[in-house]
Amino acid sequence: MESRQVAALVEQAYRARRAHNWQTAIDLLKRALAIDPEHAGAHASLALALLGARRLHAAAIEVDLALGFGPHNPFCHYAAAAIRRAQRKLDDAWRHCLVAMQDDDGDADIRVLGAAIKSLQEDNDGARSLLMEALELEPDHQGALAQLARLELDLGNLAEAERRIEEALTEDPSDVDAHVIAGFIVLARGRVDEAEQHARFALQEDASDRDALRLWAAIKARRNLLLGMWWRWNMFVGLRSERSQIGILIGSFVVVRIVIILLGAFGYEDAEILLRKIWMGFCAYTWFAPAIFERMLRRELANVTLREDF
Amino acid sequence: MSSYEIADEPSPEAGWENLVFPPSAPLLSMMWCGAWLAWPWFIVNARAMGSPTLRHEAKLVAAGLFGSLLLAFTIFTLVDAGVIESRVALQFALLAVTTLKLGVAYTVSAVQSRTYAIYQYYGGSSQRAFYVLMVGSYVRALVLGMSAHPIWLAVMS
Repeated sequence: MESRQVAALVEQAYRARRAHNWQTAIDLLKRALAIDPEHAGAHASLALALLGARRLHAAAIEVDLALGFGPHNPFCHYAAAAIRRAQRKLDDAWRHCLVAMQDDDGDADIRVLGAAIKSLQEDNDGARSLLMEALELEPDHQGALAQLARLELDLGNLAEAERRIEEALTEDPSDVDAHVIAGFIVLARGRVDEAEQHARFALQEDASDRDALRLWAAIKARRNLLLGMWWRWNMFVGLRSERSQIGILIGSFVVVRIVIILLGAFGYEDAEILLRKIWMGFCAYTWFAPAIFERMLRRELANVTLREDF
Repeated sequence: MSSYEIADEPSPEAGWENLVFPPSAPLLSMMWCGAWLAWPWFIVNARAMGSPTLRHEAKLVAAGLFGSLLLAFTIFTLVDAGVIESRVALQFALLAVTTLKLGVAYTVSAVQSRTYAIYQYYGGSSQRAFYVLMVGSYVRALVLGMSAHPIWLAVMS
């Protein structure tokens, strides 16, 4: 009875995860694990949901638990590969991917994940071959088509990228990643309006999607250099890792303080006062910048009207 | 049925709810009022929201406090030994203390922000920091005036 209940919860969580409803998936899996705390699949699924919700630290702990309870479960190794990839532990990620592929040689998802790892390792041939394998197993695999399009785009093969992304969007017209890739492809072809439609759609679905925001900044830069610089600055500060953001802020602080001390030492008091004021203004700006950026984005996305044929 | 707890989820204790502030508040107090307020505030905030990373945050705070103390002690030992002579050289040396304190404060704030986001998701409330910061800025002179020793000023400011 209990195992059936757990299986049902895990299945519901799987559907929630596929729909990117991360928190729903997390809540369902917490319920499942309250019943059976040693369910390896539930731990692995929870790790993937936590990864989706950008809670990487907790995801890493969950996937270790999953591997502990199910060391031979291919899904646990799949989850481990996804988490290690997010942690940029690429060799470890690839090792788990290989184990998952050996234990489950008919799964296209594992190959798509393996291709993503290979891309990060800058092994484009390896990535392409895994994606082709995935498409042999599942010719309509949306993720494989989208990733193949991204790979072709990175290699500058725009026609092939366009063909692949059209196939991907035919399979799932609402996929955010596919829209972002499509946006970059049409932008590379110079079709800025079309790229904007893709970016708007993606941002409407997920306003925090980093790649969609990068596409948006690239579109703004194409239209207006100044506006593009403003958006790129926001991307530069806002989309970095915490460690990198702290580094930038502290680095800026040290540089400004050194200049202030030197200006004071050489008797340029007016310039020193001016720099202090500018720095105070900049500090105040960085405090409010995330809220300003969010409001700007909301305003841009308000009253979105997509073309009828979109 | 007891609930399963994920490693990064806070478990706030009853009676401490009114002491939770956004992690940006102690960070701001570091700039506005000084380390004397920021370091304990970070710890109380972590305890109040039941942060699972409390120990990590406490270690960071301890590193910030003792690191700045050690740095300040070294700098003023060098001043006494005549190695650091000019005002500009002393300013540059003290910049290292400020940078260390700010760097650690930013890091603790970033760590605490993750827990705070989850705390808020599960309906946790927080207080407004304005009045604490106002009181802190008034008390600042009193606290820093407790000793005229330059190490005290460098570490607590």
